[in-house]
Amino acid sequence: MKFFVCCKQVPDVAMAFQIKDGELQKDDLNYVLNAYDASAVEESLVIKDAVSELDLSLVLMGAEKGKEALRKGLAMGANDAFHIEDDAFEGSDSHAAANVLEAFFKDKEYDAILCGKQSQDMDMGLTGGLLAEKLNIPYVTNAVGLEVNEEAKSILVTRQGDAGQEKVELSFPCIVSCSNDMNEPRIPSLRGIMQSKKKPMNKVSVADLGLATDAVGKSGSKSTLLSMDFPKARKAGEKFEGEASELVSTLIDKLTNEAKVL
Amino acid sequence: MNFALTEDQKMVQDMARDFAKSKIEPVAMALDESHEFPEKLIKEMGELGLMGVNIPEEYGGAGFDTVSYSLAVMEIAKGCSSFAVTMSVNHLVCEIIRLYGSEENKQKYLVPLASGEALGAFCLTEPQAGSDAQNQKTTAKLSGDDYILNGKKAYITNGTYSNVFIVTAVTSDKDAPKKEISAFLVEKDAEGLILGKPEHKMGQCASNTIEVTLENVRVPVANMLAGTNGFKVMMNGLNSGRIGIASLCCGLSMAALDEALAYAAERKAFGKPLNRLPVIQDKIAEMGTLLEASKLMTLNAAFVKDSGSNYAKTASMAKYFAAENCLKIVDEALQIHGGNGYVREYKIEKLYRDARITSIYEGTSEIQKVVIARQMIR
Repeated sequence: MKFFVCCKQVPDVAMAFQIKDGELQKDDLNYVLNAYDASAVEESLVIKDAVSELDLSLVLMGAEKGKEALRKGLAMGANDAFHIEDDAFEGSDSHAAANVLEAFFKDKEYDAILCGKQSQDMDMGLTGGLLAEKLNIPYVTNAVGLEVNEEAKSILVTRQGDAGQEKVELSFPCIVSCSNDMNEPRIPSLRGIMQSKKKPMNKVSVADLGLATDAVGKSGSKSTLLSMDFPKARKAGEKFEGEASELVSTLIDKLTNEAKVL
Repeated sequence: MNFALTEDQKMVQDMARDFAKSKIEPVAMALDESHEFPEKLIKEMGELGLMGVNIPEEYGGAGFDTVSYSLAVMEIAKGCSSFAVTMSVNHLVCEIIRLYGSEENKQKYLVPLASGEALGAFCLTEPQAGSDAQNQKTTAKLSGDDYILNGKKAYITNGTYSNVFIVTAVTSDKDAPKKEISAFLVEKDAEGLILGKPEHKMGQCASNTIEVTLENVRVPVANMLAGTNGFKVMMNGLNSGRIGIASLCCGLSMAALDEALAYAAERKAFGKPLNRLPVIQDKIAEMGTLLEASKLMTLNAAFVKDSGSNYAKTASMAKYFAAENCLKIVDEALQIHGGNGYVREYKIEKLYRDARITSIYEGTSEIQKVVIARQMIR
């Protein structure tokens, strides 16, 4: 079996962010493997532990620094990695990213492509779906559990829906986007980190993929990020004390005249 | 000069940070209360390679450099310094065996210690010999192919849970013109090795500290390290140990500064958050600067060790500076918390108690200055 996990490197959301003139200040940020992608790697490794011949590759599109995220996945236990790196990617949205990934996967053989259900930085949740459409293969979102059936060449996905969990069977090849509720990604051992240096890290450029430079970056995108800002600070709530009958009329008055929701 | 961490060093740092955040921090306050040694988590640290970070792979270690080791101790200490001191002492024992053990010693003792299958303890201090380490009373007398060890060792970290003890003892006769001290590898099951009850300590309560008594303990000659150059073993062991404890001080200070910053952002006084008050900003700036200097000195000592140069002075300077400033940083962090910092509900109260030992163990600040001055005045 052959699985791929699509990875993204994102700013560590536990750190404090700074925005200046509508732009995220990137200098002091620490970058990490997107948590949802880490769950996809972990779930693949759980399957790999049970099905030893599973070959797990990682693919990441992004700047040179992105190889750190790939090395983490390799340290966790993936077999090899593909780093699609090109200056032409600057400003890519999910559509442009899906163009690149489509070009990458078109000559690859695989049973399943896993990805995080969204990235922690932009929270769009689009790339997996767009890629499935472009590759014309089945797709299930928000997976919280995976069971592989090697004989039937299929995967049983437990997905979290609004009203409960659903089980969906997909035939290979397919794409599954993973929730971080699926598992707790393993912490790579130091031995794993050391071994990750020796695992293949394949560099891929836009030219290698046969893509025109206008299919990626800003020109290949269908949306443009104009500016960023912090959410407005919420005002503290008001607390009323007293007799119930008075409180009800005070509350109705506030909701009617101040909040204007009644 | 280049102060940037390598990709490997960053990965080790991130990994230790992940472990500290997800496994240590959630249990640190409860362990402080119960004084329980986290045997299972220490084992887990060993499985991840954190008990032999800078020991070569062929001897069971992870094979990273001392800078990586220092970064890992900082992150683990930020989670809880009890875990970091357990880790630091194990590394000290590993380092001594790596430097002075025979190939047989390395295979038998270093491999399990560095791979986390076993834990080590360093038995130097005695009830009457702390800073005055030369005043050892534990003796080792040759008897056939064995040495017979007798004496008492105090404040032995990891003692109850250790599989291997490095014990220093006087090998020269009482009336010999020069006192000779040697170091021996003693197994936990050795007959006559008596482990005392854990000390009830002020801080670092989840680390294990006991008294060890040796009553006619037989140790094979093959387990003697560096012959009668035991003092050299002690000093070199302590030099490497000082990098571990300096790193621990940095991690503890990082935790205290984080607590102070969070509290100063949340707590209001005079109509604004504390962190908007110049008097608090002054404290924060001072704490941040001292911590930055401590980290630089500690990583520099690790770098000097990695470069193969004599690092005795830089390690002592780092340990002295990082420990003294750790005390200042936790004190100011507690001051920012006001009365709340004095109650156990707040983490800073634990950090304050945990910090106090740092200027005492692995050589007091006073002894560090002696070492530093000796290296400077030739």
